[in-house]
Amino acid sequence: MFEFLFKYPRAVFSKGDLVLLGAWPTWALVIFLLAAAAGLAWLIRSRLPQASPHIRNWKSGVIWLLQFAMAALVLVLLWQPAILVAELRPQQNIIAVLVDDSRSMGIADTGVTREAQAVKALEGGVLDQLQKKFQIRLYRIDGGLTRLAKLDELKTAAPAPATRIGDGLKQLAGEAADLPIGAVVLLSDGADNSGGVDLDTISMFRSRRIPVHTVGFGLEHPAHDVEINDAVVPPRALADSRLAAKVSFHQRGYAKQKSMLTVRDGDKVLAARQITFAPDSETQNETLLFNAGPAGAKTVRFTIDPLQGEENTANNAVARLINVESSKQRILYVEGEPRWEYKFIRRAEQDDRIVTVASMLRTSENKIYRQGIDDPKELADGFPSRVEDLFGYQALVIGSVEVSYFTAAQKELIQQFVDRRGGGLLLLGGRASLGDGGWGASSLTDLLPVVLPNKKGTFHRDPATVELTPAGADSIITQLVEDPARNVERWKKLPYLMDYQEVGTPKPGAVVLAEMTAPNHQKFPLLITQNYGRGRTAVLATGGTWRWQMSQPLEDQTHEEFWQQLLRWLVTDTPGRVVASVPNQMLFDDGRVHFSADVRDKNYLPAADAKVEAHVLGPGSTAAQIELSPNPNAPGTFQADWSADQPGSYLAEVVATRGAEEVGRDVLNFARMDGVAENFHTEQNRELLEKLSAQTGGTYWKPQDLSRLPSEISYSDAGITVRDTKDLWNMPAVFLLILLLRSSEWLLRRKWGVV
Amino acid sequence: MRLLARIAVLLLLAGVGTGLLALQRGGSQRGGSQDDEYGSAREARTYSPDDENSRSEYTWSRLRYTAAGGGYGGYGYGRGGNWARDYPKADRQFLIALRRLTRIKARPTEQVVDLDSDEIFNYPWVYAVQAQTWTFTDVEAKRLREYLLKGGFLMVDDFHGASDWERFMSGMLMVFPDRPVEDLTDKDEMFHVLYDLSERFQIPGEQYVYTGRTYEKDGYVAAWRGIRDDRGRVMVAICYNMHLGDAWEWADDPRYPEKFASLAFRIGINYVMYGMTH
Repeated sequence: MFEFLFKYPRAVFSKGDLVLLGAWPTWALVIFLLAAAAGLAWLIRSRLPQASPHIRNWKSGVIWLLQFAMAALVLVLLWQPAILVAELRPQQNIIAVLVDDSRSMGIADTGVTREAQAVKALEGGVLDQLQKKFQIRLYRIDGGLTRLAKLDELKTAAPAPATRIGDGLKQLAGEAADLPIGAVVLLSDGADNSGGVDLDTISMFRSRRIPVHTVGFGLEHPAHDVEINDAVVPPRALADSRLAAKVSFHQRGYAKQKSMLTVRDGDKVLAARQITFAPDSETQNETLLFNAGPAGAKTVRFTIDPLQGEENTANNAVARLINVESSKQRILYVEGEPRWEYKFIRRAEQDDRIVTVASMLRTSENKIYRQGIDDPKELADGFPSRVEDLFGYQALVIGSVEVSYFTAAQKELIQQFVDRRGGGLLLLGGRASLGDGGWGASSLTDLLPVVLPNKKGTFHRDPATVELTPAGADSIITQLVEDPARNVERWKKLPYLMDYQEVGTPKPGAVVLAEMTAPNHQKFPLLITQNYGRGRTAVLATGGTWRWQMSQPLEDQTHEEFWQQLLRWLVTDTPGRVVASVPNQMLFDDGRVHFSADVRDKNYLPAADAKVEAHVLGPGSTAAQIELSPNPNAPGTFQADWSADQPGSYLAEVVATRGAEEVGRDVLNFARMDGVAENFHTEQNRELLEKLSAQTGGTYWKPQDLSRLPSEISYSDAGITVRDTKDLWNMPAVFLLILLLRSSEWLLRRKWGVV
Repeated sequence: MRLLARIAVLLLLAGVGTGLLALQRGGSQRGGSQDDEYGSAREARTYSPDDENSRSEYTWSRLRYTAAGGGYGGYGYGRGGNWARDYPKADRQFLIALRRLTRIKARPTEQVVDLDSDEIFNYPWVYAVQAQTWTFTDVEAKRLREYLLKGGFLMVDDFHGASDWERFMSGMLMVFPDRPVEDLTDKDEMFHVLYDLSERFQIPGEQYVYTGRTYEKDGYVAAWRGIRDDRGRVMVAICYNMHLGDAWEWADDPRYPEKFASLAFRIGINYVMYGMTH
């Protein structure tokens, strides 16, 4: 219809420039137009007194407008309007036809595979029509770009596990730098595993004015599918720790239906939860708690049970890596007076094979009782005064101890322990704790996650009941029952605390996990956490959780679980002297790995002069030794790039040395998985395809419109072109407009009785 | 005449009643202590601090139990049952020492706890005397067992000789039918948690002042024994053939040797400290 009315394809109008071919200058046209407008106005106005009264209003304006439009059209046509457009010279240009041959193109979401649809579209006449005008180069695009002699080769080739459209286009631009490429036609579902097309590639096409026409295949929204978007788990964990995995997913076609979300280590089910699906396309988040189990590099797999009629079940599962460590974690617990909380914390921690508590208890004014020490000299002189003594612990718990007990140097050490060393600090409530112990007016007040009240008498030996906040409902610290709602109820049923302490208001950025209610019904924060520097701090505003042990059934493990989880949270993220990392542990179809390592000396200051090596073991007999080079912009950090060429799991041990001295070592794991990412985001990525075509001057096409492509693709600035002038005066639309204007005026005049 | 007869009957009844009351008082005194110039006004001199009802971290709790052949009895010296021997002066004098010599925030007065309610779980350290007379129902034995396994601590004092041991064990076996009673050695942490008490000796009761004997009945040799939990922690500390409670109670009596009182205080403090740390 468009071409019938306007004589030329849309591309002529979108790509060409409007010109006036008449001999008279354009300014003369403007003058004539103004003169016509004024003349017609004067004529109508001069005749108005003789006209019928009911036309002496806006109706006369309409008549003027129609007459002026007619005059203007005639005047413009006299100036010979035309479109000047660049057109590819027949048989002298190349059209590159790229067909996506990745695994996702094998999805038959409309009964036929996407690739078959693409082939059919090309074979249905499009390719023949293109070949009449241009030379055609066929390519297969997946992880790279492969030239095909004919389309049949595509049918016989095995599908590639991944697509990297950007890389393929970049390769094409490089290979065809000297060829007269007139346009690129990309037939794809837009599924890209590299995160899109980078700006460099776009610029290469824009600079050569090569339009990329994209043809989208596949449903934009599947009718019946469940897909896991992501599963976030900590990359490191302590053996037998409880871990929280945040799993996000969405679905279409199964709103309000139920399924099971499961996490497995191999065949062993670690945790499972029934889920009810939200409305279509809405992202849901669920927290799944599970035990990390014994030490070792683990691959845990999160799955949602497939539902009946699901179109793609391969996207119901994702795998994640966890490095479960068994290295001993030590906590220093300083208690200012004998009290029950001290005893029962120690008892709660006794079953933990990983975390041990070394404690010093002030039994009398001049005596300290030590428990859990490794060496008779440990803590023999009281609280550590040297960096190497304190920084040997991963966390610090301070009970009912007034801040004045510590010297100025020890307070500085505590601050550095959290900030620089990255340790955990937990302050407990007590009669000499927090506000009553002078902590609010000390140099350590910055460490606290609360602004302590500026008064004494904040510690009360009165019962207080507890309840969780929304943040605490699914926190790994306070998770006693897996289901968040049931967990909240469980906490409400806990025996009352023996005492409580007012701790003021939480600081911005702090998280209140639990609250308590005093006998006067006033609520106070009970458990508050925050990150500070490289470490983390928390306040537990009571010394009376021991009643949870004494006042519940003998077999109840609430008290033990809570304290083990709290103390593990304190130590789990405390870094060692060498911390190695990779940006992504899961490498999908791309083996490029960027190692980085943060190396610290005994005082946890950056060790810029260290020598750092990574020893990598991979699938088969893969083994490599990589030297990490210092990052000049960040002293103490080292980096190296490497490529994991084979799919499979890799283990890297990063070792830092200074001369003959070993500074430390760290182990990390990562895995390359090929062909997995293609199973996700399987719906057509129209956004990517539209963006690509728009940025390069091409057009996004639906398969059913593809028959117009051969005629429109000719209009391009790339390749070998000729500038063509397209007259517009003889467009059918012009004659129709003339008829429309005249007939409209005539009909209106008749209606208004002024003929 | 009729009026005189009535008055005579009333006087007779009053006389008989007074005699019976006097006999009862004398009976209970036999179970307690000698009546003398120091003991006669003991209740009046029992330390009564101003802040006796203040809430504290530690509360000295004394176990009230049903004695074999009798009930709970009343309170205090001269009026109580066997559970109340030396009560409350021994408790309060011990608390004076505990508060003075340690950083324990202790209530200055004692708390009586029973096994017939869960209230005992609020007091994880409990003291019992004359344990050869204790009896438990099944429910009480179960409650005491759970109390100890959860982390409670029991100190037993003031029973002497083979017969007392046998009767003590009949009650203890209801609580722990299969846990052995062990002799605590000098190396046990119990004797080093605050004071080093490797050298210990028998601590006699008040009767030492009059008899010069450190033992009672056939309990010639003092024994420090204990019942441990699965992790080897002592949860029942048994002071057999000694009388620490009397040593605390009579610590302010110039006739009672200081060395006994001193050791008794140190043992008691170590036991409290151990119970609050293990």
